[in-house]
Amino acid sequence: MNNNGNISRSVLICQGTSCSSQKSKKIREAFECGILEAGITDTKVDFTGCQGFCALGPVVIIEPEGILYTRVTVEYVPEIIRSHLQEGRPVSALFYTDPESGEAVPYYKNIGKYKKQHRLIMRNCGHINPEKIADYEAVGGYKSLKKIISHMSPQQVVDEIRCSGLRGRGGGGFPIAQKWDLCRATTADSKYVICNADEGDPGAFMDRNILEGDPHSLLEGLIIAGYAAGASKGFIYLRSDYKLAVKRIKLAIEAAKKQGYLGENIFGSGFSFDVSIRTGVGAYVCGEETALIATIEGKRGTPHPRPPYPAERGLWGQPTVINNVKTLANIPLVISQGADSYAKIGTVNNSGTAVLALSGKIVNGGIIEVPMGTTLREIIFDIGGGIPNGRRFKAVQIGGPSEACLPAGLLNTPVDFDSLAKVGASLGSGGIVVMDEDTCIVDIARYFLSFTQLESCGKCTPCRLGTKRMLDILERICNGKGKMSDLDLLLKLAKTVKEGSLCGLGQSAPNTVLTTLRYFKKEYEEHILRHHCRAAVCRGMVKAPCIHTCPAEIDVPRYIRSIQKGQPGEALAIVREKIPFPAVCGLVCFHPCESRCRRAQLDEAVSIRELKRYAVEYGNDIWKSRTKKALPSGKRVAVIGSGPAGLTAAYYLARSGHSVTVYESQPLAGGMLRMAIPDYRLPKDILDADIDEIISAGVTIKTNTEIYNVESLFEQGFNAVFVAIGAQNDLKIGISGEDDHRFIDRLAFLKEVNSGKKFSPGDRVGVIGGGHAAVDVARTSRRLGAGEVTIIYRRSREDMPAGLEEIEKALAEGINILEMTMPVQAVNGEDGVTLECIRMQKGDIDSSGRYRSVPMEGSEFSIELDSVIASVGQRLHIPDRFGLDTADDGFIGVDNFTLATDKPGVYAGGDAVLGPSSVIEAISQGRQAAKSIDIYLGGSGIIDETLAIPEDIDFLEDPSELPRQVSPVLPASERIKSFSQVELGYDREIAEEEARRCLRCDLE
Amino acid sequence: MSKVNLTVDGRKITAEAGMSVLEAALQNGIYIPYLCHSANLKPHGGCRLCIVEIEGMEGLPTSCTAVISEGMVVKTATPDVNEVRHNIMQLLLADHPLDCLTCVKNQNCELQKAAAYLGIKERIFDHNDRNFPVDDSNPFFTINRNYCILCQKCVRVCDEITCVNAIEVINRGYESAIGTFGNKPIMESNCQSCGECVVHCPTAALTIKKTEVPAYEVETTCPYCGVGCSMYLGIKNNKIVSVRGSNTDVNNGKLCVKGRFGIADYVHSPERLKTPLIKEDGKFRKASWDEALSLITAKLSSYPKEQVGVISSSRCTNEDNYVAQKFCRLVLGTNNVDHCARLCHAPTVAGLAQTFGSGAMTNSIEDMAETDCFFVIGSNTTEAHPVIGMNVKQAVRKGAKLIVADPREIDMVQFADIWLQQYPGTDVALLMGMAKIIIDEKLHNSDFINKRCENAEAFLESLKDYDIDFVERVTGVPREKIRAAAHMYAAGNPSSILYTLGITEHSHGTDNVIAIANLAMITGNIGKRGSGVNPLRGQNNVQGACDMGALPNVYVGYQSSTSPETKKKFEAVWGGNLSVARGLRTQEMFDGACDGTFKALYLIGENSVLSQPNSNHVIKALSALDFLVVQDIFLTETAQLADVILPASSFAEKDGTFTNTERRFQRVRKAIEPIGESLADWEITCEIAKRMGGKGFDYKHPSEIMDEIAYLAECYGGINYARLESGGLQWPCPASDHPGTPILHTTQFACRKGKLLPLKYRPSEELPDDDYPLLLTTGRRLFHYHTGTMTRKTEGLNIFMGRERVQINPLDAEKLGIGDSDVIKVSSRRGEVQAGVEVTRVVPPGVVFMSFHFAESPTNMITSCAMDPVTQTPEYKVCAVKIEKVIVN
Repeated sequence: MNNNGNISRSVLICQGTSCSSQKSKKIREAFECGILEAGITDTKVDFTGCQGFCALGPVVIIEPEGILYTRVTVEYVPEIIRSHLQEGRPVSALFYTDPESGEAVPYYKNIGKYKKQHRLIMRNCGHINPEKIADYEAVGGYKSLKKIISHMSPQQVVDEIRCSGLRGRGGGGFPIAQKWDLCRATTADSKYVICNADEGDPGAFMDRNILEGDPHSLLEGLIIAGYAAGASKGFIYLRSDYKLAVKRIKLAIEAAKKQGYLGENIFGSGFSFDVSIRTGVGAYVCGEETALIATIEGKRGTPHPRPPYPAERGLWGQPTVINNVKTLANIPLVISQGADSYAKIGTVNNSGTAVLALSGKIVNGGIIEVPMGTTLREIIFDIGGGIPNGRRFKAVQIGGPSEACLPAGLLNTPVDFDSLAKVGASLGSGGIVVMDEDTCIVDIARYFLSFTQLESCGKCTPCRLGTKRMLDILERICNGKGKMSDLDLLLKLAKTVKEGSLCGLGQSAPNTVLTTLRYFKKEYEEHILRHHCRAAVCRGMVKAPCIHTCPAEIDVPRYIRSIQKGQPGEALAIVREKIPFPAVCGLVCFHPCESRCRRAQLDEAVSIRELKRYAVEYGNDIWKSRTKKALPSGKRVAVIGSGPAGLTAAYYLARSGHSVTVYESQPLAGGMLRMAIPDYRLPKDILDADIDEIISAGVTIKTNTEIYNVESLFEQGFNAVFVAIGAQNDLKIGISGEDDHRFIDRLAFLKEVNSGKKFSPGDRVGVIGGGHAAVDVARTSRRLGAGEVTIIYRRSREDMPAGLEEIEKALAEGINILEMTMPVQAVNGEDGVTLECIRMQKGDIDSSGRYRSVPMEGSEFSIELDSVIASVGQRLHIPDRFGLDTADDGFIGVDNFTLATDKPGVYAGGDAVLGPSSVIEAISQGRQAAKSIDIYLGGSGIIDETLAIPEDIDFLEDPSELPRQVSPVLPASERIKSFSQVELGYDREIAEEEARRCLRCDLE
Repeated sequence: MSKVNLTVDGRKITAEAGMSVLEAALQNGIYIPYLCHSANLKPHGGCRLCIVEIEGMEGLPTSCTAVISEGMVVKTATPDVNEVRHNIMQLLLADHPLDCLTCVKNQNCELQKAAAYLGIKERIFDHNDRNFPVDDSNPFFTINRNYCILCQKCVRVCDEITCVNAIEVINRGYESAIGTFGNKPIMESNCQSCGECVVHCPTAALTIKKTEVPAYEVETTCPYCGVGCSMYLGIKNNKIVSVRGSNTDVNNGKLCVKGRFGIADYVHSPERLKTPLIKEDGKFRKASWDEALSLITAKLSSYPKEQVGVISSSRCTNEDNYVAQKFCRLVLGTNNVDHCARLCHAPTVAGLAQTFGSGAMTNSIEDMAETDCFFVIGSNTTEAHPVIGMNVKQAVRKGAKLIVADPREIDMVQFADIWLQQYPGTDVALLMGMAKIIIDEKLHNSDFINKRCENAEAFLESLKDYDIDFVERVTGVPREKIRAAAHMYAAGNPSSILYTLGITEHSHGTDNVIAIANLAMITGNIGKRGSGVNPLRGQNNVQGACDMGALPNVYVGYQSSTSPETKKKFEAVWGGNLSVARGLRTQEMFDGACDGTFKALYLIGENSVLSQPNSNHVIKALSALDFLVVQDIFLTETAQLADVILPASSFAEKDGTFTNTERRFQRVRKAIEPIGESLADWEITCEIAKRMGGKGFDYKHPSEIMDEIAYLAECYGGINYARLESGGLQWPCPASDHPGTPILHTTQFACRKGKLLPLKYRPSEELPDDDYPLLLTTGRRLFHYHTGTMTRKTEGLNIFMGRERVQINPLDAEKLGIGDSDVIKVSSRRGEVQAGVEVTRVVPPGVVFMSFHFAESPTNMITSCAMDPVTQTPEYKVCAVKIEKVIVN
């Protein structure tokens, strides 16, 4: 240890703020003691600034091997010393694990996150001891300063910077040389240079990294700036809460003074330069240069109008150059490697790198540095590792709280000053906040505006009052009280604030609102028109996320509480207040409610659907005694189609006193519920029971009756018509050879099977598609005796629209899934079909936040099949004579919120409008149609019923900590033998136990 | 100034380089709406209403901050500008009450004006009630932040103009509001209640409590201190209902708390004297003018001329004073005329006459903006001359250096680069010590000394007495500080000395003044802008009263009363016999009264009982008089002793002129009819004169008196009322085409060469000892004036300070066991007074401070009767006292 000459290895312990807070100091001590005890003499132990793996800390790097250990604790230190340092066997248990491949990655340079980076400004961070000037000098530090002082005139320095094309990293991207030149050209008693290290953006901490990890690089840059601009005094302005940074900068200044890099007559050149630290207390606006200058002068930190620019009249009225930390850290580099070579990094007119702080819903958060021009997609997905927990990407905010939110469609935007400006964004601070589908875009706009409003200095009217009014409107919208005219008002205000405000804070404050209105307007409209927050976060309209996500708005927490109280009858009544298909939903609902269940943030979602089924199975008919039927209205309504949409509408319209007739072309009512869902998921007697209740509410169903003409219904005396005919025609795959008889029509197949006909699709069945229907077809085929059933899907398994539970059951039943595969053509032979396929790979992200999949060249292969069933989507089969407008995609066009067609009195809903969708969405459409038609016929439009007794909420025992209760299922081997119901349902004990898991968000 | 051509909305206009686009447009009659702009303040760019489009500039720059340039093309009302401007106004209106009709600022509101210009007809945002509590704590104005539009003019005024910084912006974002440090009521802040913020407020956020819209306004001159601020009195139904500053070189619209809020209440006080009063059997009864004047005529005619005299008044007009001394000299036949300059700046007149040849402020208030280094000694400028105080602070804010020499830590100290805390009464040592350093270290201006001064050798020789050890010991100021101050003053280019009574009211007051003059001469700080020796005169017309010859030794224009030639000149004009016998000074008259050699006194507008030192002696003297006439506006403590009291009109009820500290004649204009039967002082004096057979007292209007003054004194020869209509004139102004003299001694001194004079340091007469261990020094307080006859009539001023509170250092207070709530007895060898206590570090240990504003605590009962031997100016600034706690039952 004492003999420095023999040191060949370093143990570098990260002592950035994040790792420090996790006891990196103790780890260092343990290494020092351990190495001493072990008698190792060729290894030094030192700490460094942030190594950039904050989420994995504390981290330790062993050089020269370049091995990275993550989540190191004191307990592991003896093992590392023994195994790695003494025996040469690195400790694999502490390696980084690649989240995709699951493989351990020993070398930090091979970590995916590192690969696409170009560490220029942060070249030394994590590799040198920031408190030792010798470390910095050893990697070439202060050579640039020596070079310019001895060989270059200030003008030459400015020219060199100009040639490098370096632009300010503070956000605006102003050419540095121009700023310096302006200051240099003035005559004044004194001039100043200021390093703006007032990093105040939420989610931005890269300046801090440099301040803490490589303070000398910025100090050297500052001195060079002073030399070039003709200043003799410099200030570093940073936040007082950056305690470690303040300490290290102080140490750096002291050390630089000792070495003669700072002070009077530096290297005998006649150039004198002194640096002082000023700390601010965290007002965001003090990052604005004129406000920052005001605070150094001891005044309230408010900006003043430019011109005059600080370079002409700045601190104490003297010419002042003010540059950001990252800008200054670049300077020594430009000088040392030369302008030409620097200019080659990045893109034209945007030279160098961008240092970015990734945060939000991203796997690898932390600081990264990439060449200018790297796309957002590369940054978020290749380096950042994408979105955690299988969620989808929704938006990315870049540059700070007052900057743009960009949608998936703009992920290919290169990150550089000019490209971002084109899409209404700005590099700003370099903070990148990633948002997934659980983020409400209106709420995000509200949140960031509340930040800028709070941080507005109050000096200028538009920023002080305009942001407040904008915030009021956003709060109104988030509370479900918005009006459509508010959106115009928002735009008007945004323009006023943007164009009218004094400084950058106000001028950029509306950007989040403007870009979200531009790219996510639909979500605003949902909030305003439907009081719906698709992410279920807006507290004003979201009572509980489950209620809010349920298309029928079933009061989930309340029925769960009834179950918990041992009152399944009340629970059923509560469910029935919103839907006439409780039994069906209890079995087959795709339960979007569970996807937003807050319990999932602790362990797993409450099994809401299963509890509904329990309520249906164990609940009594008490609800019936509480139903009320309105007096006859004398109005008649025709409903075309007896699927869930049609029957729901019929049920509520009948309850509202109208005379309702449902027309069904098939022999039995139920639509897709009957035709498409196999018995093992939905036994027909259960369906019949729900339909019977609908009939007993007074609905007349005329089966085997096809309607060809809406007008004729009016002629028959109907006052209104609801078209709910579903989407009956299957789409083709779109490959050659699919006209063969072994390509089976999915609906016809299911229809036949469900009508009880025996049908054999053969032994080797291929199912194309990834939705519920595809899985149903596959599992049905298996039950029909197919030995080898393969689902072929072009995206990944995680992206399959079919629920995970269904997929797992299918796998258990021996069904294969060929993911990332697309059929190209079919060759129909004697013995079957040769389906030629190609492997797919991940491409861009589409507007829904999913990867596009693109064919992988040369990966063609084929599989042999006896039959192929395509389940790739449905089309509407609509008799022309209905005379209704259809939208571009072929479905009926309606007013999104009332479901009215352009024909008076005619409404449409369900799959015929939505395209293939879920049972609960169809029910929701039926409810909406009933409301709209009731209003059309002169009613109130209120269809909700009160079927349960008012709840007594003194019942508040703490939620259970047990895991999610699994419903018993038939063993897979049994399942494939018949069409018996697979899930067996909860018994009372399990149900009540599961109900106790509910967190009762609605009572918060 | 060079001119710049630009185009605004297609119109070609020309304006001075350096102007903002807004100023240039407004000057050329193009209105751009604005709310935060003020010609008196730095550009702010906050309200954003004055945005425009400028070719070649990005976005919508504010015209108040954009500086004009040649060929600039400005568009003030493009659709973009209009839209943003409109919305900004809507934002303001959303938070603003819409009770215009009942608002005090109705039709006088800049928000209203701008909204009307923008054609706002309805609000697009829901109205938001801010519900700020109203701050009603200040007696003069109300802060109602519900009307505030946060233009920050008040904040900026309080920073840039008054440099008090009582109002700040508190909080951030939407919660931003004007407030005070700690957001306490304004009365608990350091606000000095000058009201500048109220004047600048564009809305009703800051409003004066007692104010009405006047029927008309009359421009006149403030009756308080020697600054001589111009002001408009707003009149309605013969009452003063508003006061506002006028925009002149003197005060640029500024006023202090007394001027702005302390006038109407005393002018309209029910205590005003409304009829003559005659004392019978020790009691006053109302009398008719005829009766009173007859009595006076008879009495005054009955004494030998050397046994009668006149004391005139620094608060009366020049014309009043001229007539008073003319009456005394011509009708009474004696030079026994004096006035209260004797008590204050007589050493200035004497000291500067010896050194420069003329005893007045050498420079102007306006040129202080160019001073590089101020040396403020013996002047509590911010309290005694608040508006000049503001100017000095502004200059310091802009980079001027400031040296303050004062035993107390006065307000100015916090703005000072160097504070010299000398022991009271050691100024000669301090100033001569500085002079020695300047000479020794070759910081002097030898060119100036050689060319413009004389007697240098004797002076330089005398400096050897002031070696730094001696100076440090005598003054108690560390030598480094003295040296630093000497360097700073000598380096100032230019430097200016401001002083007041802390210099003159000493037993060596004239020496102090000479020491100051010496300092200015050796550094050449005389005769140029921003430099000079600048005694700040105390009362509104103390300069004028001296100028008018209300002094025993000189006629108007400082023409010697003992000179036969002058006698001849005046006899020719006045038409009567004049005396060349030396007249009595005030003190001599009082002494004579006690001796029985002085019998009758006509005392105009002076409250000697409270203002003279050693009041017991004054009361004794006045009581001993055979006949005392007091002419005043109130029944003062002095008037109580009179045989006849004559009701005079206040400044608001008469025409005339005041001469302010910088020698500027300014008009006083009659704004209301006289209260009761009161008459202007000159009218009363003329009436007495005429009844006593005096000729030449038939003036119909004060302008005729001014014409006579101009005729008789060369230095005022060019001054007449017609010229004064267009602003004040600074004497010397010898001819009607002479512009007046802002700076004295520019090319040569009044006495040709400046005379450097050697000085001997003499300690004050009465210093603390075992019996009287504390040193009492006296002075003024911001909220009151003189003996309080005027300011004590304003309730609000009494709320700020309603009784005497002796300033005492905490160490002394602790020793004596007294605190802020106690009553104490302060006694000297001459008497005792009771007063309250203010424990404060403003005074050093061993020193106590009192004002002389309160009749209840007549400080001058105890002050010393030591006097400056040259001028008989009393040593108010130093005497020995002791303090005891009074047990109040």
